[in-house]
Parts: sequence; C-alpha cells; structure tokens
Amino acid sequence: MKGYAGKLLRVNLTDGKISKEEISESMKKDFLGGRGFAVKLLWDEVKRVDPLSEKNKIILATGPLSGQMLPSSGKMVIASKSPLTGGYGDGNIGTLASVHLRKAGYDVVVVEGRSEKPCLLVIEDDQVRIVEASELWGKNTFDVQDHLEKTYGRNSGILLTGPAGENLIPISTVMSQRGRAGGRPGMGAVMGSKHLKGVVIKGTGSIPNADDGQLKALGKKGYEEIKGKESYDFWMRQGTMQAFEWCNENGCLPTYNFREGVFEFSKEMDGYVLEQFHVDRKGCPMCNMQCGHVIKDSEDQRAELDYENVGMLGPNIGLRDLRQVALLNRMADEWGLDTISLGSGIGFLMEASERGLIKEKIGWGDFVAAQKLIREIGMGEGTGSLVSRGVKAASEALGKDSYRWAMHVKGLEISAYNCHGCPGMALSFGTSPIGASHKDAWIIAWEIATDRFSYSKEKVEKLVEFQRIRGGFFESATVCRLPWVEVSFGLHWYPEYLEAITGIHRTWEDLYQIGDRIYTLIRAFWKREIPQFGRTWDFPPDRWFEEPHSQGKVKGVTVDRKKYEEMLSYYYQLRGWDENGIPLKQTLDRLELKEVAKEITGSF
Amino acid sequence: MIGVEPWVINVAELKFFGYLADLAGSRKREVTLERAVPLRELLPPRFPKENIIILINEKAASLDSVIQNEDSVVFMPILSGG
Repeated sequence: MKGYAGKLLRVNLTDGKISKEEISESMKKDFLGGRGFAVKLLWDEVKRVDPLSEKNKIILATGPLSGQMLPSSGKMVIASKSPLTGGYGDGNIGTLASVHLRKAGYDVVVVEGRSEKPCLLVIEDDQVRIVEASELWGKNTFDVQDHLEKTYGRNSGILLTGPAGENLIPISTVMSQRGRAGGRPGMGAVMGSKHLKGVVIKGTGSIPNADDGQLKALGKKGYEEIKGKESYDFWMRQGTMQAFEWCNENGCLPTYNFREGVFEFSKEMDGYVLEQFHVDRKGCPMCNMQCGHVIKDSEDQRAELDYENVGMLGPNIGLRDLRQVALLNRMADEWGLDTISLGSGIGFLMEASERGLIKEKIGWGDFVAAQKLIREIGMGEGTGSLVSRGVKAASEALGKDSYRWAMHVKGLEISAYNCHGCPGMALSFGTSPIGASHKDAWIIAWEIATDRFSYSKEKVEKLVEFQRIRGGFFESATVCRLPWVEVSFGLHWYPEYLEAITGIHRTWEDLYQIGDRIYTLIRAFWKREIPQFGRTWDFPPDRWFEEPHSQGKVKGVTVDRKKYEEMLSYYYQLRGWDENGIPLKQTLDRLELKEVAKEITGSF
Repeated sequence: MIGVEPWVINVAELKFFGYLADLAGSRKREVTLERAVPLRELLPPRFPKENIIILINEKAASLDSVIQNEDSVVFMPILSGG
C-alpha cells in the first residue's frame, strides 16, 4: 500500500540490537497507523509486564497522513503499557519528529529493553545509533532541547523525557520543542525506565504516495479553506483559551478541585487577558492554525499556554494570576510533568489540607506552595510525593473517603471540564480508552447545544460517533482533531487525502470499522493486563454524582447514577461488549480479532 | 422595533462568545422588542446558520426560535477542547 514508509524500526537498548522490519499489508489495512499500530504491537508483544521494567516497550507511531503537506499533520502517537493506570496508555504529540521519522523511512519505532547508561536514540535516515547521554541526565527538557539543537541542527525532530520521567514519576509525559507534550499516562516515565533521555530524528527522503500531484492540490485547498473560515481570526488570537470563558459561562470550569464550575476571578485570566499578554504563537509542523500562545510568565520567561493547562493550574487550584499560571506551566514542561495530572494532584493536596487530612497547610491559590509541590512531585519527595503517582494512588494511600474527590477515571486524571451538569461528557470521560482524557469524544459542546441534561440514547450514539472520528481516525491517521471542530474544516477532506496518499478509496464507514477494531483491542488489552478490569472502571468519581456546585448555571445539579448506568449499558451494546464492558466473542470475530478471543478465553 | 436602549429596563439580552462576538460587533447587546421576533431577525446577515450553540433562558434553541423582552439569549461557538 502506498503512503507508508513501510518500515518498523526496532531498537533494543539492552543489547544494542537495531533491526528494520517490514510492516505487513494487513497491519496497514486493518489498523491504519498511529494508535492502531501501537495497540496492535502492544497486544502482540507486551503481556502482563511491569510497565517500568525493561520488558515494557515504548512505541512511536505515525500514520499515512502524518507529516504530509496537509492541514495539521505533524503528529505522532507515543504509546506503552501505562505505569500510571496499568492499562493501555498513549498520547498524541505535535512534533518535527513525526515529519522526520517518515522522511527517514520509518512509520514506527519500537524501543525495548533498558540501556545500562543514559542514552539517546539518534536516527538519521538509514544510520541509527544509540549514543551515551550521561551528561544530559538530570537536565530539564528546555536545556536539553537547546543542547541537541546545537548538536544536531535546529530543524531536528526531538523527543525528550524530563527529570520527572528519569525519576519514574508516573504522571510524567514526553516533551518536544519546549512546550509540545504528549503521552499523559506516564510515557515520560517509561522512557526514564529505559534510561532513554531522548530521541533525535533527521530524515531527508520522501514518502511514496499514490498521487503526489493530487495530494498537493488537495492539501493547498485544505489550508485555504481553514484560513477562509469566519472563526479563523479569533482562533488565531485566543486558540483553545476561548474555552475558558465558554466553560465558565456553562458552569464547567474545573474550580477548587472540581468542586465548583465557575471561578470568581475568571475575567482576570480568560482568553481576552491572554490576548493582552500575548508575545508569540507556537504550533506543530504542517499547521496553519497554531494553538500555542506564548506569554511572559511572572519571572519574565516565555511560557506556552493553552486551555487545559490554564484550567488545571489556574481555577482548579484557586490561582487567579495568568502570569503565575504560566510559570507553573513552564515548570511542568521543564520537568516533563503532565499539566492536567499536575493541576489535579495539587488541587487534591489543597483540598486534603483544607480537610485536615495532611499536616501541611496549603491554601487555595498558594503560588509559592504550588511551585514547591511541583519540585517535590518531580522528585517524588516530600508532600508532593503523595500525588506523584496520580490522585488515584494518593487517595488509596490517604484513605478517609478521599477517593470520592480524587478526580480521575481508570487512574488518569480528568482534564479541564467539570461535568456535574454534562452527563454525556461524563460518559465520554468514563469510556475514554486511556482513562479520563477529553480527546476521544469531546461531546460537551454538542450536548449543551441540544439537550444538556438528558440521558438519551441519541447522546450515547453521538458519543460513539465522536470516538470513531476522534479517537479512532485522527489518532491513527495521525492528524490533529482541532481543524474539524474549531474552524469547521470539512470531514470529507480526510478520505480524499487518504486516497491520494494510499491509492485506496475508503469511506467514513470503512474508517469507523477500523476505529471500532482499535477501541475493542484496547479494551481487550486492559482486560488482559488487569484481570479485575470491568464496568466499575468506567465511572467518574463520586463528586460528580453526589456533590453539586453551590453557584453558576448548574448549581444544585449532579449526574444521576442510575441513568448513567443506563447510558453505559447502551454504550456497551453499541460497542458489542457485554454488561461488564468486555468485548463479546461475536464482536471480536466481526472485527477480525479472533486471536484476541482465543487469548483471553478465560474472560468469556 | 429594535434599538440599543440601555436606559430601558424591559429588554432582551443577547450575549455572544468567541468569534461570534466579532461577527455581532459586541460581546453583549440589549434590545427592546415591540413584539416577539425570531432570533435570526436580530443578527447580521453573515452570522453563521449552523455549528453554533444557541440557548434561550438556558434552554437549547435555534435561529428560528422566537424571543421577547426579558429573554436571555446566549450564542456560543462549538469548540473542540484543548
């Protein structure tokens, strides 16, 4: 099939063996790329291992659209068995590494084993080397990015783990280009466990597409369509930060560890305030609607902001100063900590302090304490160490019913949307395949636009549709999901791009089928790795069911547990899973996953 | 029939979010209505007809929905999440 480099690069850091393997046609046809490749490889090769042992593997996976001259294609998926959740973990990162990997002649890299000493993996077309990097160990991701750009060239594709990942902190992520992040469920720690400080990629070749002329023409039209949208200018001014005012108005802004949905100081730090402080814009390769907005933080250093990190490190911890939030965000990026999990962890500690469950006094909005906690979380020391393994583990250690307000699903912290009054979005978090990520099915806008408080079948059907498009297609293609919704970029473009690239005509129905296969295989992976996995893992925390907000549009509202159960059952029915959320044999057969049924027979 | 008259108490309030505020020319308008009118009559011609959230008194509505004085209307873009 055209449009793929066709090679998988396998690197064993224990024995230094480097090999190149053909990617089968069935792999391309059935799993497309990105997340699809990642879960297939993890299913086949990573079975019941300790995520931080040398037996775990980390996958860097692109898809046929990655790095192509079409809108927002500079993406790749980083996946592994998660040290945070114990299940399938991945994240999507915008990075030059995506473009360079394809040009170097590979679609996927599998890194296995563990290097004796800290190392870098350097990929320069056919030349692949493991280079000792002891001098970089312990250094933050910004300094290492600078160093590697000087050594290998400013245009190199670079993926890094920070000091947090080196310290095996399970809420650590992978960083690139001083602010791009991906792999929330502890992908940084998996790199750290392998003593892999970073990956440097430089490619000079080209991708063998079916029809380059057609792709070039279609890509050009796509970029022009995006620039011509009426929402484009505003997007370029505020990016995802427009969601701040939006969420506050709708009572969805995570505030004081998700206790409230509106923040009394929201107007001091919303997208309009961002515009006043704005000094630069950053984005991923191949993107003409960059979402990263750079401001000078409270130490006058450049820091890149978007809605998620402002929501979680601002109102969720009671902090009202955007420049101080920017500083916390920069610290997180330097340490290689996930900003969402970090904001949730700090909010958890502030609430625990308020309740007198820990001895330290940490008030809401305490900026100095928050900085100290970030350092402690990154080191796994002191009070911060309580949440460095995530709020699920923290609540298990703390006890005293703290699980009720430990804001996570499946061990992954909930991102910046408070769902007391959004049952569809609550189900979206509940059924996201990596834990509580907003990326797979951001249904909240659709449900507010239609019938916000309903628990209808139509809402569940829409949720599955969004998962198929976002978590299934975009994560596997791999391209960014933002152009579609944020500026109404037409979905019809994607099958057209795929056909120009691969030479094969596929409809959205065909792509849905691939998405369903990927979701079901991820579900099977969770079940195989965690035998007790099942329905109870698909529930958001009790706070959303039991503790209504005291103010705002959804004051007094909570998610109805019985109706949530009904939605969840219907979701399983649509997915072809049983009442415990485990794929049915006939579903596995239909999705051509028969080998999966054989392997987890005990589950049926 | 329609005018911006902030000294009049009996008004309908229109709030615009995101790029819709740019299109409407302001983030908030108050209008005095002599009779109930469909929303679309209050909006500029280039205002989007789809892919937006419209809430009248916090309930989902459309451009064909009719409003009157004392109604509160919110227009929001569909977002994707950061």
